[in-house]
Amino acid sequence: MNPSVLQRIANGDSNAVRECIDQYGALVWSLARRLSRTAADAQDATQDIFLQIWRSAARFDESKGSEKVFIAMIARRRLIDRLRKSAAEPPMDSSDEVLESVAWSDPGSGSTADTSIEVAQAMQALAELRPDQRQVLELGLLQGLTQSEIARRLGMPLGTVKSCMRRGLIRVRECMRVGAKQISGRSDV
Amino acid sequence: MSETGPENQPDEAMIDLLVKQVTEGLSPEEQRALDILDSAVASEYSRDLERAAAAITLAASTSPLESLPAALKARLEEQAQDFVAHRRPVELVSDREIARPKPPTDTRTGAAGWYAAAACLLLALFAWLRSPPPAKPVAQAPQATQAPAAPVVSTPPAPPTPAEERAALLAQAGSIKVQLTPTKDPAAAGVTGDVVWDPVTQRGFLHFVGLKPNDPRLQQYQTWIFDGGRDKRYPVDGGIFDVPADSSEVIVPIHAAVPVRLAKAFAVTVENPGGVVVSAQHHVVALGAAS
Repeated sequence: MNPSVLQRIANGDSNAVRECIDQYGALVWSLARRLSRTAADAQDATQDIFLQIWRSAARFDESKGSEKVFIAMIARRRLIDRLRKSAAEPPMDSSDEVLESVAWSDPGSGSTADTSIEVAQAMQALAELRPDQRQVLELGLLQGLTQSEIARRLGMPLGTVKSCMRRGLIRVRECMRVGAKQISGRSDV
Repeated sequence: MSETGPENQPDEAMIDLLVKQVTEGLSPEEQRALDILDSAVASEYSRDLERAAAAITLAASTSPLESLPAALKARLEEQAQDFVAHRRPVELVSDREIARPKPPTDTRTGAAGWYAAAACLLLALFAWLRSPPPAKPVAQAPQATQAPAAPVVSTPPAPPTPAEERAALLAQAGSIKVQLTPTKDPAAAGVTGDVVWDPVTQRGFLHFVGLKPNDPRLQQYQTWIFDGGRDKRYPVDGGIFDVPADSSEVIVPIHAAVPVRLAKAFAVTVENPGGVVVSAQHHVVALGAAS
């Protein structure tokens, strides 16, 4: 199997650093746009995220997950840090806008379709969640709202929001762990 | 994927903190609470949750990906070129085997005194921070500052060592040298250090003698540049680095994440592996103000 772009970066392949931008630029930029207050913030964040991706390339282990998910993890971590530290309002202020955005794709029809097993497992787990759990996860993970903000926007008690977030995330995590063990088991045979 | 079984499940309070950490981040108080509770189980659980959150983000997004704006792509490519040109010395430092530090059994001991000392140093060194922030954010500077691309030759000479590069930079007209003052942080006991920085090429080096070795799986050092042209709350990330167990002296290149207009001060903190975007400054080990 050919080494992934992150493995090539870790191995010192200079071309791979630029290829990483071509391959994942749209993904990182789209996440940054979604979880930044302004376009300028998103641009700064994108530069920051790529620097971190290149520096972290050696930490990528394909046996633990897909490269795309690894990239999204780094991007999300950086964007959450920026949102948290900016002490700013969430990216969207209008309740209507937020609620209109809660339009989950039918699992499997997402426009950022990813063929990785992890994402397929996440889709399957999402399909099995209750609507309120999915909605809370979406507002938190895709729109970058805090639990308190979600509670206000949806008129839910904070405890309910926390519970939905926790159960939803744990359910997806469990599905991914089970899937990983099955794959590991098959490959061990 | 990790193999933590149910018997190793973190308790509910810790799970709540971990969920909040990966979905919206923690306040300093919550982070301290998690640090106290933290364990290998929590770290593994947190990684799994982060992975799940990332997979959900990819799985649930309904909108098409946006293409990178051309200007941003051009900046990223310049950044990539700079990263490639300067990363070797970092790898030479970082790739060595690192000893595991002693468990942080006494992290709470003397914390108040440490914070007070750090706060005093920060106040003394960064008086300028009290001035109002610039009216407008600094635009991305045009790249007269970019390091020249290395010429293509068939048999390239051996790359200079970090020490040689630092010496060359120090000899360069316009470069500045800033003495770093250690804090009372245990990692900084007996430390001496300085920064050499060239504002034109945006290159610099940290030089430390006696900085405590770190375990990069647990913590890493991170460099910060306080830029007089930027919002004072957000010093520029100068990169992460490690101190190998067998090294009493390290020279580490500084990689500014974005162009620095006027380097006013430098700081080194201890952060979680991979570094952070904005330091909570809970664990500052050295500071230095440019005169």
